[in-house]
Amino acid sequence: MASTSINPSSLLPLELIDKCIGSRIWVIMKGDREVVGTLCGFDDYVNMVLEDVVEYENTQEGKKVTKLDIILLNGNHVTMLVPGGGGPEL
Amino acid sequence: MAPPEKDDAGRKKKESIVDLSRFIDKKVRVKFQGGREAMGTLKGYDALLNLVLDDAIEYLRDAPDSERVTEDTRSLGLIVGRGTAITIIAPADGMEQIANPFANPDAEE
Repeated sequence: MASTSINPSSLLPLELIDKCIGSRIWVIMKGDREVVGTLCGFDDYVNMVLEDVVEYENTQEGKKVTKLDIILLNGNHVTMLVPGGGGPEL
Repeated sequence: MAPPEKDDAGRKKKESIVDLSRFIDKKVRVKFQGGREAMGTLKGYDALLNLVLDDAIEYLRDAPDSERVTEDTRSLGLIVGRGTAITIIAPADGMEQIANPFANPDAEE
């Protein structure tokens, strides 16, 4: 394990995501895609199961919005996560 | 310096080459794969370089030229940045834009 000690009173990122289970989360991907949904769970790779999802795509013309029921989001392209986030302003 | 100790399988123990504890509660600028950039106060991190940033803002890119980052920003709040997508972590006051040193090849000796 890392020999440089991590300050125990600082916040672990995956703990913060864990606290967010059951609430809305705004997920920003590497490309121009963002997703807002209720976080049902996630795994070590931060693949996520999300419910009542709204997907925002930034295309040339503007934002495209799609609504989805329950999804498995592949964690490969996840860049940022905003707990309790409302999503991008339209 | 003594070599890192080996575990039972003979592999070297993983030691982090960066120490982010010095950035805790400081503003950092983070660049991601795919061109996104964010700035925020570092509140936490882990060995995989996932970050917790507070009062984070994202620098928005030029719409026609998405390689270039503008001064337009949007506020994100408390975010987790994925270590798998991070390319650069720098102190916020550690970067400044300078004139292009390669701009005029004729002037170079």
